[in-house]
Amino acid sequence: MNKYLVWFLLFLVLLASPFIGAVDLDISKVFTQDTLQNSIFFDLRVPRVLFAFAAGSILALSGLLFQTLFRNALMTPYTLGISSGAVLGAGIAIKLGLGSLLFGIAAVSVFGFFGAMMTVLLLIYLAKFLKHSHYESLLLLGIALSLFYTSALMVIFYLGDTMQNDMLLRFTMGSLSIIGWMHPITVSIIAFILFLAIYLYRYELQLLGISDESATLRGVNTQKTTLILLIVSSFAIGTLVSISGPIGFVGLIVPHIVAKLHPTTVNNRILKTALFGGFFLVFCDTLTRGLQTQSELPIGIVTALIGGPFFIYLIISRSKKA
Amino acid sequence: MIKLDSLYVKYDNKTILKNISLDIDNHLSILGANGSGKSTLAKALCSLVEYEGSVRITGRDIKNISLKERAKLLSYIPAKLEVYDPFISVEEFVLLGRFAHKKNFLDYSDKDKKIAQNTLEFLKISHLAKHTLNSLSSGEAQLVLIAGALSAQSKIIILDEPTANLDPHNAKKIAQHIKGLKDYHQVILITHDLHLAAFIDSPTLFIKDSDATYFAEKKKFFNNSTLQELYGVEFNDLAVRYE
Repeated sequence: MNKYLVWFLLFLVLLASPFIGAVDLDISKVFTQDTLQNSIFFDLRVPRVLFAFAAGSILALSGLLFQTLFRNALMTPYTLGISSGAVLGAGIAIKLGLGSLLFGIAAVSVFGFFGAMMTVLLLIYLAKFLKHSHYESLLLLGIALSLFYTSALMVIFYLGDTMQNDMLLRFTMGSLSIIGWMHPITVSIIAFILFLAIYLYRYELQLLGISDESATLRGVNTQKTTLILLIVSSFAIGTLVSISGPIGFVGLIVPHIVAKLHPTTVNNRILKTALFGGFFLVFCDTLTRGLQTQSELPIGIVTALIGGPFFIYLIISRSKKA
Repeated sequence: MIKLDSLYVKYDNKTILKNISLDIDNHLSILGANGSGKSTLAKALCSLVEYEGSVRITGRDIKNISLKERAKLLSYIPAKLEVYDPFISVEEFVLLGRFAHKKNFLDYSDKDKKIAQNTLEFLKISHLAKHTLNSLSSGEAQLVLIAGALSAQSKIIILDEPTANLDPHNAKKIAQHIKGLKDYHQVILITHDLHLAAFIDSPTLFIKDSDATYFAEKKKFFNNSTLQELYGVEFNDLAVRYE
């Protein structure tokens, strides 16, 4: 398929997306002041599209970043257990009933952020016991952590009452349902910070994409660069996950599709990956709203349904090469 | 220019280099058996491995020189380049040689691009500019690696077994380029290829059993009895191919 056609179609979906959902919107009424349609459009649909776009960018950029830093196609914040850490943190906050604010920020976000950061620090610490750059083992560590976190979350379910469990369940399935502009703007700013950080380190990443040794020899402080970028992306993922819940596989799929469409070195793919990630999640979100079901399909389920088979395809095509 | 002082390198509790002290004022060829620590010595010079003792370049301990400054002082050319990024082109790779000269966070300057381009022209590989690194033959890859080092414009160039993966024709081509490098750079050559070492004609360091012997003159090393003693293999005169 023509790559420009793919981009164009995704762009069309983005434009159409705010008009699709449980309530059919009429263009003429949408732009009339003080109608219900006007309020649905500007207070629900448009901010949601922005939220989905920014969230998709964060997920895709983190995926590209992890794959480049660790030189492994399967590395993402999800496969490494970082987002599971955020989910567990947020889950604990929900269980403790910390709905209120903590230093002016929602407690769930603070706990989600710490969950993500703790996981990154734990991975960095555990990686010291691995033999030099055996990143495959790091992936196994991440999977082990994910399973551990999931079990811990099950314990919380077991202890929780029905209301908390319902909240938790909806949270763990991932959702882009938001009201108003607060979350979309926060997440957009974070997406921009992540993009900027990755863009500033684009040539360091290009060198790290060759090998650790090449990067060191050319003058890159690989540990410092890796740490800075990991912290910024964990901050982004932690905050996003604490708002939306986990949305898997976007970080895995999008960088690969972009690399297929634009086979060029990593620093030429940063902006493209951010945009494609945004378009892709808006597309998936439009699906959840367009499909007529009893209630809205959680976005995490849609991306996982697309991502699962893709993950298997990736593993098979990888082992074919080797 | 390079001064090693009681250098020890251990790896997994095995001593690879033992108490090596050496002044490398100019060119040097390092030879030795497999696993004798030749590459380890080269990697110690670039601080790619942990070591005890000191390595000084122009009087400064390399542990006190920033990574970028070090990259401007010396380039290391591995035997084979492992590349994860499947899309990076030759042109982009050679430009990365200018990384240490580039301002933080900014793009490469026109001067950097010009230098990278001139390096490709100098080594007569401009036609490969748009090819990806993974698509190169071993001979082309070695030239591209040399181009990367040249664009860094470092005084010292360390080559780790540059002819190990090459056929005689490409080996000759690389050998002649390396000899050319001696005019402008301090060339430290690590090799198994006795013909290459003889052709490059630098003072020789022979490493065996984690110990090093220095031969200042070509004749002292490249004679049948010395070679036989060092390698434990019978030698008839080397057939020099690279002239």
